[in-house]
Amino acid sequence: MPNPLSGLKPALEVLAQNVDILPATGQAVEDLLRPDQEEVEDTVLTKDDTRVDTLIERPNRELYVPTPSLPRTEQHVFRYFLDGSQRSYFLGTAVERERSSPIQLAQIGAAAVVRQNDGQVRKGLSDHRYLLLAARDQFSDQVWQALEGAFQAGERFRLENIAAEDEDQPELPTGSDLRSQAVTKAGWRMHEMEVELAQRIASEADEGDWLVIDGSVRYKALIRLKQTVGVAKSFSKAPRFQIGRGPRVQSLNIMQLLAALEAGHRTCAFSAQSGQVAFWYVRLREQGMVDYPLMGVIKVTLPNPSGEPVSSDLVDHLSRALVAERHVTPHGRDTRWHVHLYPIYLAEQVIKNGFLSQEVIRNAIHWPTIAGMTMRR
Amino acid sequence: MNDSQTAAVKTVEQPPIGRASATDRDPNTSEDFSFWLAPGIIVNPFDIVEAEQYEDSHTYGLVLGLEHTTDAPSHLSNFISNDFGALVGEPNTLRQGTTVARASVLSNDADIYMPVPNERPVRFADEAGIHRALGIDEMREDRRVPAGLIEMSNGTRAVAYIDLAYVLGPEAAHVNISGISGLATKTSYAMFLIQSILQSSDASHIAVIILNVKHGDLLMIDRPVEGLLPEQHDLWDKLGLEPKPFENAHYLLPHGKDTLSTGMPNSFIVPDFRQVYAYALDNTYDKLDLLFSQVADPSGTVESMVGEITVGLEQRTKDWANVTDWDALLNSEPLVKDGRSQRVGDIHASSVGKFRRHLRRIVRTRQSGLFVHQLSRNTVNLSQEIAKIQGGHTYVVDIAKLTDEEQTLVFGDILRTVYALYAEEGSEENELPKKVIIFVDELNKYAPVREQGSSILEQVLDIAERGRSLGVILISAQQFMSAVHGRVTGNAATLVVGRSGSAELSAPAYRFLDTDVRANLTRLSKGELLLSHSIYRQPVKIIFPKPAFKQQG
Repeated sequence: MPNPLSGLKPALEVLAQNVDILPATGQAVEDLLRPDQEEVEDTVLTKDDTRVDTLIERPNRELYVPTPSLPRTEQHVFRYFLDGSQRSYFLGTAVERERSSPIQLAQIGAAAVVRQNDGQVRKGLSDHRYLLLAARDQFSDQVWQALEGAFQAGERFRLENIAAEDEDQPELPTGSDLRSQAVTKAGWRMHEMEVELAQRIASEADEGDWLVIDGSVRYKALIRLKQTVGVAKSFSKAPRFQIGRGPRVQSLNIMQLLAALEAGHRTCAFSAQSGQVAFWYVRLREQGMVDYPLMGVIKVTLPNPSGEPVSSDLVDHLSRALVAERHVTPHGRDTRWHVHLYPIYLAEQVIKNGFLSQEVIRNAIHWPTIAGMTMRR
Repeated sequence: MNDSQTAAVKTVEQPPIGRASATDRDPNTSEDFSFWLAPGIIVNPFDIVEAEQYEDSHTYGLVLGLEHTTDAPSHLSNFISNDFGALVGEPNTLRQGTTVARASVLSNDADIYMPVPNERPVRFADEAGIHRALGIDEMREDRRVPAGLIEMSNGTRAVAYIDLAYVLGPEAAHVNISGISGLATKTSYAMFLIQSILQSSDASHIAVIILNVKHGDLLMIDRPVEGLLPEQHDLWDKLGLEPKPFENAHYLLPHGKDTLSTGMPNSFIVPDFRQVYAYALDNTYDKLDLLFSQVADPSGTVESMVGEITVGLEQRTKDWANVTDWDALLNSEPLVKDGRSQRVGDIHASSVGKFRRHLRRIVRTRQSGLFVHQLSRNTVNLSQEIAKIQGGHTYVVDIAKLTDEEQTLVFGDILRTVYALYAEEGSEENELPKKVIIFVDELNKYAPVREQGSSILEQVLDIAERGRSLGVILISAQQFMSAVHGRVTGNAATLVVGRSGSAELSAPAYRFLDTDVRANLTRLSKGELLLSHSIYRQPVKIIFPKPAFKQQG
């Protein structure tokens, strides 16, 4: 079997020939994502919406609404489930004169599964790529151009500038650490893949067939999608909610809001991003059945590009269909099982099963030996 | 089916049913491989499949076990996933799961025994593939004996041929059949196999001796069955055999207590053409050891006594001149004088008394009528009749109503006679059939598992170990293989096992079977058998047609 990462060999040779390399101890080292990455992103994306006081749905004005399960056998609402995933590996540090840059490899992918009427799922659209990440401003023009030349257009292997600014990419609190920024950059590219797949699915879906995206749908490209909801397993705990007006205004933090949310119920839908997004919370599981009262609650985001009020019937309908998704769960396979929709878990498995294993990565990446010398240093 | 027909069958490629699967914990090896099944595909243990291998070859495997796995790491996860056991409705998304089959490698058609690589398509084997898998394709056509039909889950059927040279010799010989009575259909299978052997070879050179041990099951083998169902005809046709009764059948029936008055033998069914056999002292004294096979004889007293009697009656010395029948032997000199047991040779009088008590029980008080004062014109000496066996003829010896001792005597008499015919010098000058097949049920009575040998056991072992070279073939059956002497089953090149209990299958006698195969044996249906043959690399499950001769009831 040929080396699956042989497409990276020319780039590694360029680096080995032109800069000093401090290889990672041993072989490639996996950069682990923080487990609460989803919450971090939600916090950043909702930083302008920490004070929530607008109900965007009509006609409901109640804080909590019962949403009994609407199973697939009664009405099949959610057909498509989309997720993205990434794994990053630190390969070493490139040193050119007094400048240095981490060299990282990322596997990124996005995949959708399609649920059929009998409850079986099949693989839908999917894509995955390998990114070699380095900081452009830490290299001379000569080396960077040589690096760019080592990649062929259209290949699955791509060169990424860690420090490049993307128009829509939110500024996540990753600090100045280039390795962390590289992970964030790979995550953004992964998100772009998700958006691309989501757009294709949304354009091809039949009327009434909805798409569920893992996480929030607050990025601009997603807000334009129809029949799409985002389901976040973990979310910002910063918002404070003001319910009502005048002297009877009721002020709640998110803990208070969710602690009183019963299983099979939703909160009212709130407005975010100037009404372009509606969001609410749904409790999938009884509080007594999970370890912590705030477990078992998902945050649902619905694109609302018009900014007009959202029908309470639609919010109920989607919430009821989501309550039905609590059965089955990836319990035992994922610590977030209580909020993890099983088809999303399967989409995640589709991606991860397409990734090369840590063992393969470690053994497939070898810094080239230059004639007369091994790695300098 | 000849090779050209076999090739013609191969023209339609079967659709894939799944793909080979190798994991870090469950790798494929040269010995076996796993494959997952596409949804909706039904596969059962004993199906034969083929997996694509290197160089366009195919690796054939026998499915031994199947297991269904899901991504749930524990049963608790499934409980929790069902909304904490709420038992409401169907899950919105069905949990991911697959059925994985484990197959034991039978062969590769290019002799490539590399493990089957991951993801290779797996198909049901067709008939030609099944033959290649088992090695039947390399079997000489003139030596192929249909031994049953392999029927797979997709409806494919293939004839399971066994090699005549491994059934009747010279390469190997003997067949042993085990299984629970009533469910394993042992006798029916043995009769089918004998019929198949006769139809697949030159029957004129084969004599068959059958012992009828139960009711009148085998006392009408020359009469055609009435109303054989069409599906049974199909089975016979598929096997390339003609559903017909046995030809040239002879029935040897035992003399009974009422035979003198009624003229009827001691049998459940009395065929029109029969002979009645009996044992008078004159034609039994040299077989007395067989009568005492079931009597414990740790000091060898019985053996010595039998020796004294045999020598005395053989030589007709003065002391033995008046011993002409069973009564004389039991009640007069030299064993008895004035009503008291006497010392005979070195044997103490009390031991002689004990011997007399055993002999009286066997030939007088508890006998079925087999032992007579003298043979009459209407009764025959069984060993003399057996000595006249001819090729192309079948001899049924009825022992169904005999006592255990009498059955042992008759079976031992037959074995001893046949063995003497073939093993003794000058036998080749006689016009003997080239092969003699002897079928007996309840073999455990004659060749039980025990260290100390008996005359009948020695006789059976002689046939089991040397019969192959002599042309004397034993087709035997019993409920429990574990109850039969290992040297008998060990010498059988073909072992057939029907439904059996799990306790029985845990015995060492079944170690030649894979653990999964043994588990499946407890679930075999009536008429399904497991066939293990020297040529085959693994045993296969077969069905066979019902006998084409008339049976009781």
